[in-house]
Order: sequence, then structure tokens, then C-alpha cells
Amino acid sequence: MVDFPDRISPLDAVAEPGVFGTDTNSPKVFLSENLCGSLIQVQAWPDTISVVEKALETLTKLAVPKAPETAHSENVSIIQTGPGRWLIDAEVEGLEDKLRSKISAKNGAVTGLTHARVVVEVKGPKAAWVLASGIAIDFSLKAFPVGTSQVSHHHEIGVTIHRTSEESFDLYVFTSFARGIWHWITTASSEVGYAVS
Amino acid sequence: MSGFRLNLRDGLGRAVDHDSKINFTFDGKNYEGRKGDTLASALMANGVSIVARSFKYHRPRGIFSAGSEEPNALVTVHSGPRTEPNIRATELELYEGLEVKSQNRWPSVNLDLMAVNQLPGKAFSAGFYYKTFMGPSRPGHKATQFWWFCEQLIRRAAGLGKGASQADPDKYGRMNAFCDVLVVGAGPAGISAAERAASAGAKVILCDESAVAGGSLLSSPELLDGEPAFDWAEERLAELAEHENVTVLTRTTVQSMFDDNTYLAVERVADHIKRPAKHQVRQRAWNIRCKSAVIATGAIERPIVFAGNDRPGVMLADSARRYVVEFGVSPGKAVCVFTNNDTGWLAARDMAKNGVIVEAIVDVRKDVPDNIRAAGEESRAEIFLGAAITATNGFQSLSGAQISEFTETSGEVGRKLKKIGCDCIAVSGGWSPAFHLTSQQGEKPVWDAELQAFLPGGAISAWHGAGAMAGKFGLRHAFRSGEEAAVKALADAGLGEGDSDVPRIEGDEIDYAPAPVFEINSGGKAFVDLQHDVTSEDVRLAHREGFISVEHLKRYTTLGMATDQGKTSNMSGLAIMAEARGKPIPEVGTTRFRPPYTPTALGAIAGESYGHLASERLTPMHDWHVAEGANMYANGPWLRPESYNRSGESVEQAYIREAAAVRKGVGLVDVSTLGKIDVQGPDAAEFLNRIYSNGFAKLPVDKARYGLMLREDGMLFDDGTTWRLEENRYLMTTTTAGAGQVMDHLEYHRDVVWPDLKVALTSVSDEWAGVAVAGPKARNVLKGCVSDCGVSNEDLPFMGVQKANIAGIPVWIARLSFSGEMAYEVYCGAGWGQELWNVLMKAGKRFNITPYGLEALSTLRIEKGHVAGPELNGRTTPYDLGLGGMVSSKKNFVGATLLKRDAFHEEDRLQLVAIKSIDGQRIRGGSHLVKGNKDEPGRSEGNTTSTCFSPELECYISLAMLEGGAARYGEKIYATNPVRDCHVAVEVVSPHIVDPDGGRMHG
Repeated sequence: MVDFPDRISPLDAVAEPGVFGTDTNSPKVFLSENLCGSLIQVQAWPDTISVVEKALETLTKLAVPKAPETAHSENVSIIQTGPGRWLIDAEVEGLEDKLRSKISAKNGAVTGLTHARVVVEVKGPKAAWVLASGIAIDFSLKAFPVGTSQVSHHHEIGVTIHRTSEESFDLYVFTSFARGIWHWITTASSEVGYAVS
Repeated sequence: MSGFRLNLRDGLGRAVDHDSKINFTFDGKNYEGRKGDTLASALMANGVSIVARSFKYHRPRGIFSAGSEEPNALVTVHSGPRTEPNIRATELELYEGLEVKSQNRWPSVNLDLMAVNQLPGKAFSAGFYYKTFMGPSRPGHKATQFWWFCEQLIRRAAGLGKGASQADPDKYGRMNAFCDVLVVGAGPAGISAAERAASAGAKVILCDESAVAGGSLLSSPELLDGEPAFDWAEERLAELAEHENVTVLTRTTVQSMFDDNTYLAVERVADHIKRPAKHQVRQRAWNIRCKSAVIATGAIERPIVFAGNDRPGVMLADSARRYVVEFGVSPGKAVCVFTNNDTGWLAARDMAKNGVIVEAIVDVRKDVPDNIRAAGEESRAEIFLGAAITATNGFQSLSGAQISEFTETSGEVGRKLKKIGCDCIAVSGGWSPAFHLTSQQGEKPVWDAELQAFLPGGAISAWHGAGAMAGKFGLRHAFRSGEEAAVKALADAGLGEGDSDVPRIEGDEIDYAPAPVFEINSGGKAFVDLQHDVTSEDVRLAHREGFISVEHLKRYTTLGMATDQGKTSNMSGLAIMAEARGKPIPEVGTTRFRPPYTPTALGAIAGESYGHLASERLTPMHDWHVAEGANMYANGPWLRPESYNRSGESVEQAYIREAAAVRKGVGLVDVSTLGKIDVQGPDAAEFLNRIYSNGFAKLPVDKARYGLMLREDGMLFDDGTTWRLEENRYLMTTTTAGAGQVMDHLEYHRDVVWPDLKVALTSVSDEWAGVAVAGPKARNVLKGCVSDCGVSNEDLPFMGVQKANIAGIPVWIARLSFSGEMAYEVYCGAGWGQELWNVLMKAGKRFNITPYGLEALSTLRIEKGHVAGPELNGRTTPYDLGLGGMVSSKKNFVGATLLKRDAFHEEDRLQLVAIKSIDGQRIRGGSHLVKGNKDEPGRSEGNTTSTCFSPELECYISLAMLEGGAARYGEKIYATNPVRDCHVAVEVVSPHIVDPDGGRMHG
């Protein structure tokens, strides 16, 4: 295992732990940053989807989602972000090279996005309410069930959202826009009180 | 009007807390109200009759209605940056400490000296603005100047309130909501629709503009399922609010209906308290997307136009009734009801029942049904049938009314019958369905001759009208139509019909159809539009002068403009125009409504988006730049360091120092902002070869190449280097500002033009931090910190690309130069960007490494003649910029065909050159290139594009586009900028000022 230097998140300087906003005794939103070891995008060609799915299944031991859903084990999540396209979120570092060795250019493309996204976890009883204030998708459980993901945007900035439970969401946001998104989430959450950990 | 608070008791004044006391001020004077009062009800309870002055004539005006249709009682609340004008007193909820000012008066609302405007009243008639002070618009013409002078005075003399000039300190929120059925209006029809929809399992949002939902049920005398309507509504609404599928939003006005069943509603979250609590939003804009909607917005009572109808004390009859029943406030000591329909009689009865003295009921009709006559008798009022009010008396407010005979069919006014003393005339001219929302969609309303009203036209989106809005007047029809509309909406949403739950109703059954009387034309000033001081004579004048179209009528007279958008005046104005034209009303037509339904704070629309226009992108080294005192500058969406100014240094001094340091030693610059696109696939090489004008098919692995990208029309689009990292994997870089457009361009061609190519395109702009190390000492810096890769000219030649390692950080190093110096671009994962920067700074310390910003970066590339955004401006071809050698003749590529157009190859096209100042004067950006001196400059033969002071030449230089410029080196011309009064002698030179043979880059 190569020992890489620690990564610096754009949120390090702004995500001060503590409880903020209206109701500091009983915050309704809980925010944290999830540092993923590897975040890799895998794309198959239209005629090689099944080949890539098989390669991913072999590597992750997960059933690759065929709809905008998520398959996950203890340390790997596979989020389908489009037909024949997946985002692999894994605790282990250096997954990109491993995937590249298994998926040749003939069958697909492997692109490392570990540094390109910041993963913000938003959870709590008002998590969906806060997200709905800036993202124009239906956050009801019926329209956005647990375990599924949606690709949307906030102020024209793309964001991939993975509903990990009834009241928690992982937001995959562009690193360069992360502070802007964080500013929005904390501003919106301040109305109901939020905790940062 | 001398209103007063009635003795509050059970069943009377249910909207207010009988035991509370709220202190507020109006024009600095202290008053007391009750919790639940609106400002209007509280002022009325305190006997305040004049609350405003009219727009044009400054005539005293009182409270006219009890809702959002109010034309008169507009006030200004708060002060300083929170100042908000034109708030309707009829909607403003009272709270402790509320401070309100009247507006459009001087010095006070009771004694307004500007009322002198009434004296030349006829001069201010319809079309005043268009007829007066007309003059040629030629600048300097005396008539025009006089008009401008007068316009300022007129604008000061007329108008509504004044807004704040400071920034709004409040927060505004936004919410995106989705539902099966949106119900607009929580009156009987709305409640009925919401209940029915909820019973079918639909997700329902129910909005009501009032603080307390219930609509007409709040003052309705009927019993529903044996209990008072107010109680019934309260219980049902509480049940709805508890329903897991239902969201009830009060104080929420649905302002706009858009395409695809999208609605904008504004919730007044904290307008009923002194100021929002910390972290609380003042208002929240709801974007509601529904599968179907039930529009149950009710109807707005309209007045009858008669002489003297604007005196304080004249108000709508049902509003007068509501003040009595809901707020326990009598609108006057002696009320006279004037009506053309049955509802006026019920208003008289309900007011009298609750202790108000009703002196008379005046009805234009010759006869009324027995039950209505009985209601009149209950009111103990004197009854006048076939009569009308033809004049009013009073100084500041109403003191009496003249009642005369009136013939409904001919509109003739007969002999005077009686003069009645009264301080309130409650007038009802029938009801106009509030179909504003559906009208916003362009749906043409249809005329209902019986109701004498327009009804909403056919739906072009999924909505269904219910209740009075759809012409279904009366509680029975309201409940029934609410359910029917809900069933249709449920079908739209693909849901079942749900269960019916219409209450048993005990109470009046009346005919809501009015007599077709809109005006009593007895002479005297009769106002149609109270808010904009438009009289019935103004409408007739517009007709006489040919402005007979309703659209022209509106614009010529301003009828139906301003904050109320003619909610109480449009119908009367239309009827008077129809009468003048001798045509039925539907043939004259009606104007449509546009969003929003009521005035909306700009803050609510802007939401959180203030202070900046778009989200900002920050590089991984952003905090370092800021800590080092860099001026951060917007470049596309990114913030970049403009320059790192030392103490006392100007931007120009800083960039000259930074650029010189690069030329003489070494500098480093954050290039993380460059667009970066991962291009992969077996057809990636072919794809790039088609995208770029120069060849990419044979680019070797570990090599980079500068590429030109053209639009389909042959114009340059973007440029950048693309690195071949592996056989089928490339890293394309683009300009900072062009990254998004390039990505769109690539995806379009991949998906639409060449779908057979297997190419994956992914933006990796955020994956990589980039640092350019430039200058003759650049290699020395890298030598001190790079491992796993040599940096000698042999190991890493010009345009070479290598994987390497710097202090444990995996990096890509490309030997590229934008500055013209020996330079390397080092890329690493963004999370390590700051660490990489620190290591490079440390390694460069002994070489006096200098961080440089965007200005120095630009200076270096201008000296080198490298093009950037100002030259890639969408109007230049590769040939124009001296890049014709990069246009391949051996392959096809995007833009190849149209690049061959003759016009693109003419010798006198604007071509890239550089110019340098001959006498040291500064060349200003945006200068034109001319041959003549300052007095006779002659025509423009070109323009500057990128300008700077060149540390290398120690003079001002600029890249420029000059007609036939490539053949004009050595020519002496001028760079003129008349706006900045600059006319600088310059010499035309080759754009490659520094290192023209490339020796430094390749060394």
C-alpha cells in the first residue's frame, strides 16, 4: 500500500464542528464530510455493458445496479448514474488502477474522480426539507426511495445524491464548488438548527 | 367613516383575541388593536377614516376592502433598509410595536397640501403623459429639456410609496415541492377539494393567502353539519393539517401559474412579527410542481361606480360585513348599503344583526325575491328599490348620500328621493371570479351573461376550477364543485375518486346574479380605478379619442395598472367602455392577467441568490492565495489571484514585478482552473482528430500537443493542449472560461454527429490541481523535488509528459509553456494541490521563486504572442491569428468546410499583430487603431485585444487585430480611445515579441 499524503478538503477550513442555527438544543440536520478512499467512474460502451457489469461484479462482489439505484457492501458502493455508467465509492485507496486493469479500453473507460468530488452527508429529520430548498427534485420516499440515487443540480451545479436511509443522503459535489454548496446547506439548515461533526 | 369596535361576544369577532391588546403606531400616533386584527380592522376600530392619499389627485382615501384586492389602503411599514412600501393594510397583520406610515402625502395624510393637484384636475385626465410636454427628442431641444424638468416634478407629486435604498437585511428561503394535487384557496371549495383528494391517497398541498384559512366560511352565517361555519372550517382544516399526505400553507399566496403544472407561491413566514428571528427567513418562495390543480380562489366583489364614490367611508359591502362578523368592528355609525344584487342585502342583515345601524338599503332593481326582502326587514333599514346613490357628501370623509330614482334597464337617473346621513356606504356591484392564475396561462375568459362576469376559459394545462372562481357561487355549489374538481384532478394524477364528505348546510339560498348595472352616470367625479385615480369620464375620453381597444384603454388611462392590477376596477371600466361603444361587454373583450397575483418582494424571488450572480469555483490553493494578500479576480466561474500585491504596490506594479521575476528567474502560478477533460476509448484519437483543426491521430503517448478547436462555421472556438497519457486515454485542457462550452461541444459531436465512435468524455477539472513553474530556473526547482522522472531536456523534452512523484504526491508533469519561458505544468490530485504548491515553493526558495497571478500570466503570454480569450472572441479564424499552419489539409475536422470561405482569406481581414507605444504613453484597453492624429483620426482599422506594460520591452504593448496587419510590421499608427481621451502613437510589430525563435521554451 502506497502511503499518500493526507488530502486537504475544501471543507476543512469551513466545516467547524459544533451545533449552529435556531435550535442548538435539538438540531434537525446533521452534516459531515465522508472521505472516500476511491471514487471512480466507470463507463461501458453501448455494446459492452454486460461485460463491464460482470467485471465490476467480480471485483466488488456486488450485484451491479441496472437502474439509478445503489448496491453497497460494508466498504463499497456502486451508484448507477446513467445507462452503462457507474460511480464506485470505495474505502480502499488506489482502486482506479485495479479497475483499469480489469476493464480495457475495448470495453469501457475508467476515470478517477477521488479528488474531484467531496461527499457531504446530510441527515436528520429535516434533511430532505433542507435539500428540497435548493434542489428541484421530489425527496419523498415514494419518488426517491432509500438506496436509489439521482443526478440533479443546485444553482446549475451538478450534484449526485444517494439516499442512504429515510433521513440521510450522501451528496457528491464538485470539489471546486464544495464551499458554495456547504454555504447553502448550512444557511438553509440554520433555520432548523444543525450540527457539524 | 367613523368605525368602532363592537362589543365582542361569542360568535362575533372570531378572528381576533377578545382579551388581547396590541400597541401600534400609524403616522407616529399610538393606537391599540387586538391580536388577529389586520391593520385595516384596527384602524377602523380606532375610528381612523383617512388612511391614504390617492395616486394623482391626492384625494383622501379610506379602507375599501378586506383583502388582497385593496386599491386604497396602501401603507409603508418598517424603516431604514427594511422599509417596504405599498403594503395593503387589509392584509397586514397587527403585531406589538408595528410602525406604519401613510404614503404619497405632505405633510400628513389628513392635511395633504399636494391635494392642490385636484384643482387642475381636468388637465391630469387620461393620456396626460402622452399629450403634455411633447417635443422632439433631439438632445438639447428646449421642449425636451422642459419635459424632463416637469417629469421630475410630476413624478415627485404623484406616485405610491418609496422603497428602501439600502440592501435588504432579511433572509429569504426557497422550497421545491411536489404533489399530486395542488389546491389554491382554502375556502369551502378548496377545503372540499383537498379533503376529497386526500381521501384518495393523493399528496395534497393546500394554500391560502390569509393568516387564517377558511375563506368565506370565516364570516358565513350558515350552519354546517349543525355548527357555525367558522368552527366547522377550523376543525376540518386542523384535520387536513394533521393528514400525513396534506400540507396546509397559510399566509401563502399562489402568485403564478406556469407551464407544465408549475406554480410559484410566496409564504409570508415572518411578516406577521416585528422582524424575523435570527436564522428565520422572512418569506419563502415555493416552486410547486403538481400533477393537477384545483383553483378555488373565490371571487372579488366589485363596486358600482357613482359620483363621489371615493370618499373615505365608501367600501365594498361584503368587506364591511366581514369587518363586523370576523373582526367585531363596525365600519361606521350609520351604514347605507347600495347594491345591484342579493348579497348586499345579506351584508346589511348580518351587520344589523351584530349591532351595526343600517340606515338604508338602496337597490337598483325594481323588485327583489321575498327572502331578500325579509333579510332587508331584519336589518331594520329603510328600503329603496329602483333607486341609486347619485352623490355623496362630506369634507374629508363621508357624511351623507343622495338617493335618487334609477331605471335599471335604461340607466336613467330620475328625481331625488332622499338624502341620508351616513358615514359608510357599503356597495356591491356583483362578483368577479378571481381567475387571475388561469388567465396568466393565456386562457381566454368567457362571458357569463347571467352572472354579468367573465369566467375562466378552457384549461390548457391540468387545472380545474371550483367554487366562485368557476362561477359556482354559494356554499352548496362551492362544496359540490370542489369535490368535482378534485375528482378530475385525481384522474389527472392517475388516482381513484376518493370519498365524498359534503356537509349538511342550513342557511340562505340566494341568487348571485346581479342587475347589469356598473355605473350610475349622474355627473360628478366618479372613480373607476381608485388606485390610479381613473374616472368614468377618463374611460369615455379614451373612447372619444379612439383608444377603444381594452389594451389601449388600459395603457391610455392606466386603468387596471399599479399594485392591485385593477382587481376591483377592470370590470367597471370595461362595462363603461362597452356602453360608450354601444356593444355588449364580451365584444369589447378583457385584458388578461400576468404574474404575480399580488405584489411580490424581489427578495422572495431572488431567494438566497443575492450578492453574487453564480456560484464561485475555488482552486485547492485558494486559501493560500488569500492569505498571501492576492486580489482574487473572477475568471469565468473561478476566483483567481489577480496579483500578489506587496505593501503599497498597485496591481500594475505587482504584475510587472511578478512577470519580470519569471523572465529572470522562476515563478509559479495556479493553473488549476484550466478546463480538463478526460477523453478515453478506442476511438479517442479519431475523435480528437476530428475535433481539432490540426492532426492528433499520430500524437505519441507521453506527448502533449497544442490544438485549435473551431466552430462549425470555421471560427476559432477554443484552444489548449491535449496530453496522450496512454494509447486510448487523453487529458484535454481548455481555456478556463471555455471549459463548459467545450464539454458541451464535445458531447454534442460525440452523441449526435458521430454516435458510432466509442469515446468517453468526463470533466476532470476538479480532479486535478495544476501548478505551472515557469522561468529559466524552472528546471532547477523541479530537480530539487521531483523523483521517479528526470526533468532534463532529454528526459522531458518540450511537449513531453511524464508521470512522476513530488514529496510522495503522484503527479503528471508536462513540459508546456504559456509564458514563452522554459516551463512545466505539474498536475496532482486536487486534495494534494496545496501540499504540492508548498513543496514547489520550498524547492524554489533558493531561486527566489515568485508566485504570480493572472495579470502577470497575461503579460507573459502577450509578450510571447500567445492568444487567449480576447483573441479567441468568436470572430477570428486560425489564419487571422497567424495559426494557419495548424489547419490540416489532410483530414476533415469540425469547421473545415466553412473555413474555406473566400471572405476568410481576404488580405484586408483583421489580423493579429502587436503594437508598442512609441513615446511611453499607456495604451488603453479597447483602443481603436487609426492612421490620423487626434484631431482627424480617420476610420478605425482595427482594435487592441490584450494590453499590458511589458517588463521585457519596458513600454506599453498590446496585441491587436489590424486590417492586413501581418504585412504592416513597422508601420506607425495610433491607438485611440476617445472615451478615455487617449491617442497614443504606436508601432506595429510582430506579436512574437519575446523569444520569437522559441529558444527559451525549448532550452
